[in-house]
This record gives sequence, structure tokens and C-alpha cells, in this order.
Amino acid sequence: MVDEKKLQEKARETLIRDDVRRLIGWKRGTYGFEAAPAVVTDASQAEQLIFDATCVANPASFIAIEEKKPVPRGAEPDTRKVAVMVKGCDSRAVVQQLVEKAYAREDVVVLGIPCLGVVDRRKAEKLFGQTGAQVSAKVDKEKVALDIGGDVKTVDRSNILMDKCLRCRYPNPLVSDFLLGEEVEKWADDDFADVDEFEKMSPEDKWKHWDEQFSKCIRCYSCRNVCPMCYCVECVVSKLRPQWTRRSTDISENTVYHVQRAWHLAGRCIECMECQRVCPVDIPIMTLNRKMTRDVKEMFEYEPGVDVEAEPMLACYNPQDPEEYIM
Amino acid sequence: MGDYKFARDKLADVLTSLKEYQVFAPAAVGDVLRFKEVTDPANVSLDYDNTTVPPKELMFPQTETLFKYRLGSTEVEPSVPDASKKRMVFGIRPCDAHAYSIVDNLYGWDFADPYYQKRREGTTLVGLACAEPCANCFCPSVGGGPASEKGLDALMFDLGDAYYVNSLTDKGEEFAKAAGLEAAGDADAKAAAKQGEDALKKVARSIDTAGIPEKLPSLYDHPFWEQFSDRCLGCGICTFLCPTCHCFDIQDEAEAFDARRARMWDTCMFSEYSLHTSGHNPRPTRKERTRNRISHKYSYFPEKFDVIACVGCGRCINHCPVNIDILDILDKSKQAEAKEAKTA
Repeated sequence: MVDEKKLQEKARETLIRDDVRRLIGWKRGTYGFEAAPAVVTDASQAEQLIFDATCVANPASFIAIEEKKPVPRGAEPDTRKVAVMVKGCDSRAVVQQLVEKAYAREDVVVLGIPCLGVVDRRKAEKLFGQTGAQVSAKVDKEKVALDIGGDVKTVDRSNILMDKCLRCRYPNPLVSDFLLGEEVEKWADDDFADVDEFEKMSPEDKWKHWDEQFSKCIRCYSCRNVCPMCYCVECVVSKLRPQWTRRSTDISENTVYHVQRAWHLAGRCIECMECQRVCPVDIPIMTLNRKMTRDVKEMFEYEPGVDVEAEPMLACYNPQDPEEYIM
Repeated sequence: MGDYKFARDKLADVLTSLKEYQVFAPAAVGDVLRFKEVTDPANVSLDYDNTTVPPKELMFPQTETLFKYRLGSTEVEPSVPDASKKRMVFGIRPCDAHAYSIVDNLYGWDFADPYYQKRREGTTLVGLACAEPCANCFCPSVGGGPASEKGLDALMFDLGDAYYVNSLTDKGEEFAKAAGLEAAGDADAKAAAKQGEDALKKVARSIDTAGIPEKLPSLYDHPFWEQFSDRCLGCGICTFLCPTCHCFDIQDEAEAFDARRARMWDTCMFSEYSLHTSGHNPRPTRKERTRNRISHKYSYFPEKFDVIACVGCGRCINHCPVNIDILDILDKSKQAEAKEAKTA
């Protein structure tokens, strides 16, 4: 586990640096099973920062969506670095953003955190109900111990961790300048059993499933906004001239939005599961992403967000591609 | 007005007897609840905390046709709802009914919005008091309560074996007659009153709103907003799920020659909401948008209509993916020193 005192000390040290302007990590939320993402700018705020199994949000989401006001005439733009704390899965977002040249390696300071898994709020609330307490959670190789307002509950990992953690192949950060804590041993593998299961459905049943799911969508765009790979300044679904997607909510426009969102992530989704976590109406968005991830893996032998030196999938050509899908 | 009751296992019968109404009740799609038209009364359950999407969508749907027309023609065919068609929202929580009475101010102000008002006029609101408030409820702080009658035509209390029904208006009486409810006794009325008092004590969160509407404008340029806006994703969850948020956009849509003008929920949390044609955006970052959302609810709206545009339902707190907690913001706004404000 990560020593919180050491984490705060490292954060303080980083924030004091002249070439760092902000740091993104986590702090205890005002209630419940999820820590809040925290953006801090001053060393005095370092003591707010925490890391435990409630730190589910991906801090890398906040690097590229920062909105800057226009620099006044004659003034120099602030080019100082952004420091970001990342778990293994979060670090893949940083890798992929670097691959896509969203920013340069020297623009960020990466504080890596080896992770044993994080709590799924939905699973926790099913087990214990919604709580107003500020929950903290410790995780080891077998169990998760939750402190719910002084009441300690111990749960098997498989009953409470995010699905992504149960198939996690990268518990240690793939890019980092400093590692906060000892590297951990990988405990799982990914056989895409969930995708196999979904594919057993008939085409009619799949349509019915997605009709029902997309009908629920209120187009709040939280899945898009939280996605660390969705950082376009102007999103295609917000464009008015031409308007590719209508703003009205119905099954047709909602489907267009979701298919568009998924396809724009082909070979880019790093499976942090944030889109599905934030959805207020529980649309199983990752089902689409997971299918694409496997297709990309099988058809192009490509895995995004694991190699800083890689070319983006859609920007490279490999004569050795399997090509089995080309007639 | 009248005191009535019906046995718990008669819920489906009560709903079946309401044939002259189009009845909406909470319905589940997976784990997500939303008000839907009742098609099978046997499937309706009132054992729920609150719906994810508020029933505001029954008065101002997320997407609504204003009128239809044909390209090349100057005639329009308005789509104003028919107020003579009786509708009922069955099992609405007191906070959501309170929200309608707040939004009424806006939709009946300089221009009486026929789309909203016709629906409101034709709808009977049968509330369900909360026996177990949720973790982030704070309705008593903003003029409501777990058994608040504001805006309701009748209020039901779940007393275990039976529902006690207190009718509050003529519309409520009409509902009791249509449903053929039996008269309730003193014991039921007392049990309901006790449940209401107990529930009020169970509301865990609160805010003293005194002084907030007057103070917020003085914090216009204050850096404290950034503590919250720095992690804001700029999504529409807090506003779309808010029962009092009422902004909409208007767009024209055409399919070959058949066209319509429609309006759809809009949100001040999207950057394009305040984007000018010139490219200038007076709310360029999430700081200004966060400030606007809170100030509109707690300062601008009360200044104009003398009521805070928040009912304490807790949805924006429950569903914000980054824990931007409106009570935390209000609390910090009270602590912030106005003189610290930057004069940008």
C-alpha cells in the first residue's frame, strides 16, 4: 500500500518546484464510496491528498480538458508542467495521450502508484446502501476492508472491485517519473469472457438490448467529458455547421452519438472504465469499448496506451497485419 | 381536505380504477428509475427512494416539438398539448412537486409558456411522503420536507399494510373519488403525522441559506469557485437531473420537406451554451459556468422570484462523478471573505 504521508510529502515537493503549476490527485469526498479527484496548486494543499481503494477516478482525464483563458497581449503563456498521480490503468491514458501528442513528455510530471484495485461504488451501494459517511478502503490480494463511518466491513475482492480490476494486467504504472510505493505483482489476465458472453446474443436481441440502453441516454455527455481520450476542443456532436448529430434525444440520435463515440475510440480506448462509471443512467458503455478493444487486438495486433514510442493505430501501416477481415 | 386509505395489496386496483387519467408512476429499467406511463398496474411498485431522472420531464420533456411545418410553406401546425386530457403523476416525491411550483414562476412570467402550462393544468400530483430520506437529501433547508405538501394535490404515506392518503385540493378529492378510496381513521392520520416528524429528524444534511442570495454576487470573481470548477467535467448531469433546471435550446429539424421546430434541454455547464456567434464566450471556463449554476439557483432566481431554485433532492450530489457537492460549495461561500475577491 501507499504510505499517505510519503505521498503528501512527494506532492508538496512537486508543488514547490518552480516548473510545476498544478497537481492532480485525489482527496476524500464529502460522502460515500468514491474519493474526489483533486486539482491542487499550492504546497499547503498537499495534506488533502490521499490514495486508497476509493480513488477510482482517472486523474489523467483532467490534463487535456483544462480550459485556459486567452493570454493577454504582451503576457507570456504559462508553460509550467502539470503533475499527475496515476494508477496502472490511469497511466495508460497518459501513455496514449503522449502517443497522440496531446502534450509533450516534458509537460507532465507523472507520479505513479502501484495499485491493487479500486472499489466500484455501485457494487458497494448494493451491499451496504448509500452512505453519508466518508468511506476509506484498504485492499490486499484477497479482501477489501471498508471503513464506513467507523464500521469496518470486509468483502471479497470479486464482490466489490471494479470489473476492470478483476481483469487488470497493468497494476503498475507504465509511465512515471516517481513511483509512490513498491511495485505489485499482477494477479489477473484478460480473456474477454464478457465479450464472448455478449456475442452469444442473437442480432435481434442485441438490437433490443441497445435500443433499451440508448433510449435511457439523456445526452449529458459525461461519458465523453470524463474520457481521457476525448479531448477535442470542439466535439463532432456539438457542431452545428454541419450538424452531424441532432441535439434532440430519441433512439436514433442517441444511437448515432454512442456509435460515434465508440468508433472515435477505436485503437485508443485504454479501458479505464470511467465512461461507464460516471453514466447517471447506467448504460453499459464498456460493452462497446471492450468489443472494439478485442477486434483491434485481433485484427491489428495493437494495444493502445502501453508503449510511449508506439505510433497511433490509425496512423501506422504494418504489412504484417493479419488482414483476415479483408475479403 | 379528506382523509383516505387503501390497503397495500390494492395498489394495482387503485391504479386500474383511474381509467380517465393517463397515469405516470416510477418504473425501472435495470437499476435506473424514471417516471413512465403505467401500462400494467400490477408492475407498479412504490418502494423506491427517488427516480434518477426527475419527473420534470413530464412537464417539459427533454425534447419537445413546438410546431411542424413543410419546407417552402409558411403555414405551421402547433403542437400545444391538450389540457383537457387528464394526467396524473402517481407517487411523486414532495421535493419534485415542490420543484414544479418553483419552475411555475419562470414559465408563467413575461410569456406564459402554453406547452408547460397546459401540461401543468391538466395534471394531478399524487405525492408519496419519504419515510427514509436519502444520505444527501436536504429538503427542509430549502422550504420543503419529507412530508411537504407544497405543490401537491394529495399526499400518500406508506404505513406498511396500507397507504394513508391526505387529499389537499379539489383535484386530490377527485382522485380519491375516482379511485374509490375508503375513509381513514384518526389512528392512520396520527401514524402518518408521526412518520413525517420522524422522517424530518432523519434528514442528515442541511444548510442555513440565510444571507446566501445576498452574498453570492459579492463573490463573483472570488477564487474559491476554482476549488470546485477545477475538477468539473463540464457534463450535463447536475443540471439535466435537477428538478428545477429548466433551460432549453431551440432547433429546427427537417426530414426531406417535413420539418419541425423543437426545443430540448440545454445546460449552462456546456461551453456552447454561452458561446456568441462572434466566437466570444463570456463564460470561457468551468469556473464561470460553475459560478453561474450555483448563483442562478441561490441568488439570481430568488432575487427575481423570491424563492431559491433548489429543492434539496440531492440528485446533483448523488450523481456528480467528481463529487462537486452543492452543500460544500454553499458552505465555502459562507466562509469566503468577500473582500478577498479579485477585481479582475
